[in-house]
Amino acid sequence: MPWYLYLALKQLFPSGRRFPFFTFISVLGVTLGVALLVVVSSVMGGFGYEIRQMIVGTEGEVQVKAQGIIEDYPELLKKITAVSGVAAATPVASGVLMVDYHGKPAYPAMRGIDLSTVENVAHLDRYVRAGSLDDLDDDSVILSSELAESLGVSLGDTIEVYSPLMIEKLKNDEVFLPRQVRVVGVLEIGHQQLDSSTVYCTLRLAQELYGLGAGVHGIDVSLQDGVNEDDAAARLNAVLPPDVRAFSWEDTFSDFLWVLQLEKNMIFFLLLFIVIVAAFSVTSSLLISVVRKTREIGLLGALGAGPRQVAACFCAQGLFIGALGTLCGLALGFVALAFRNDVVLWVARVTQRQDVLRRFYNFSELPSHVAPGDITRIIVLTIVISTLAGLLPAWRAARLKPVEALRSE
Amino acid sequence: MSDALLTARALRKTYLSGDRRIEVLREVELVLAPGESVSIRGESGSGKSTLLNLLAGLDAPDAGEISWHGENALTAARRARFLGMVFQAFYLVPELDALGNVLLAARILGRPDAAARARAAQLLARVGLAERARHLPAQLSGGERQRVAVARALMNRPELLLADEPTGNLDEHTGDAVIELLLSLCAETKTALVLVTHNAAYAQKTGRQLFLHEGTLRDVQNSRFSVQGSP
Repeated sequence: MPWYLYLALKQLFPSGRRFPFFTFISVLGVTLGVALLVVVSSVMGGFGYEIRQMIVGTEGEVQVKAQGIIEDYPELLKKITAVSGVAAATPVASGVLMVDYHGKPAYPAMRGIDLSTVENVAHLDRYVRAGSLDDLDDDSVILSSELAESLGVSLGDTIEVYSPLMIEKLKNDEVFLPRQVRVVGVLEIGHQQLDSSTVYCTLRLAQELYGLGAGVHGIDVSLQDGVNEDDAAARLNAVLPPDVRAFSWEDTFSDFLWVLQLEKNMIFFLLLFIVIVAAFSVTSSLLISVVRKTREIGLLGALGAGPRQVAACFCAQGLFIGALGTLCGLALGFVALAFRNDVVLWVARVTQRQDVLRRFYNFSELPSHVAPGDITRIIVLTIVISTLAGLLPAWRAARLKPVEALRSE
Repeated sequence: MSDALLTARALRKTYLSGDRRIEVLREVELVLAPGESVSIRGESGSGKSTLLNLLAGLDAPDAGEISWHGENALTAARRARFLGMVFQAFYLVPELDALGNVLLAARILGRPDAAARARAAQLLARVGLAERARHLPAQLSGGERQRVAVARALMNRPELLLADEPTGNLDEHTGDAVIELLLSLCAETKTALVLVTHNAAYAQKTGRQLFLHEGTLRDVQNSRFSVQGSP
């Protein structure tokens, strides 16, 4: 190891002596900055990741939509499944319903699913909290958890369903009767928006309620592992008719994802200032060190050290502080992430705001997703900033003339 | 190439103190043979340390020239090989133990290998500090620190050792021991020595005694020159 790196290490961590206070404070500053960056990046990434999992888990990676109704969907299904990278596809019908249970109305979104193919695309069974997907037939529905709770519906209860088609009939003075269906399941995805108002029914029931005949509103597509959604959507669009388009889930939710990414970047940028402030502390400590060690710097010159090597010794101290602070910060950040839900729930419990947490953040648990790219960005930026923090002290040290440094009091 | 180890010709050095110009050295001449030991005495502020810094290549003269083995340039790397220095204030690195301080000279030269470690340990043993190799400077007495500094100065087998009042911070007894050690080590290793000191007794132990007065270096034995404190 070059002497200047060796001496930098020894000055930061002298053998046989206590951990120097200045090293401790400098490393602590960087540690806290990195830990915060890790936690915030991972939690923000977690929101995006959870949303992806929910969307992909319930609707597939790619959604095929038409401007109107897709009449001949079996033919389209064949075309879609023949495209490279496509794992499976399932037709869906979607819209809005009115449901009524003992005079309590609600206006949930409806998703009509094809029971024979839906499991190949969406893993709804994972989210069934009560009842079973197997019990779903053309006279029954599965309700999202909060909808069931707000209506006060239990398994086996019968609810009345009204569709926009029925309202049309009403306008034409036709007699209509609401469709009575049994509740055979309760679904909880974990996203407040989806859990609050969704009704899952069979494709046939949805077609009946919306008067679609044999048509559907769209086709959800799942992809093989590792296939890029945008590439797959582009390949699908090449074979689909002009009035039918394929959109990756990122396209479909692009506005929401953009806002999420913007929030994440802004918070990252703001929190980076903690690392920058910590770097100023490193600069200040190292400048004091240069003043305190002026005669030692002179000695190094007398022993044959060059100004660049002396500069490297102080610059390396910034690097080592940055590297150790990053290491400790990563460890602290991951520990904080591991206990994030306990901490958040404790705060919510103390402030009696559990329900607000769920309603406001849409998630029952604080999500976290550690993206290697984010961690790499944190590591590189922190170490670069810390090393730069050593530049000014290094320059001051390099400028000292040995003869003047040795003479200093 | 000259046979002389070090040659200084017509050295001049002037400092500015406010508006005043203080001529510390004028027409200093010095020729040093390999293995020779020389002492330089002089009053405080007479320019002894300035001269030593010029000889070490740490400072440049205003006029005149110095050559080391016939060469006028002393780069940092060449200085590390060519000369060792001992100072009044020891200047040990507080974060390094005694062995680490001695080995630092070899590290700067880029040779911190096993042989260097063995030599550092051997030098520490030679200065009587084998048992204290792992002690930090703060755990050593003044005399012990200076002995570590002497070992460090000799670590790279220099041809010339410059000692600037090495006993200045030591009591008489310890100072005597350090000087004896310095002289005997230089004699053993055939290292030339320039010893700056106020002490006439120490000066007399060297092969040649010089006196710096009014910016000029004079040989005490071959001169009628006499000032207070000179022999």
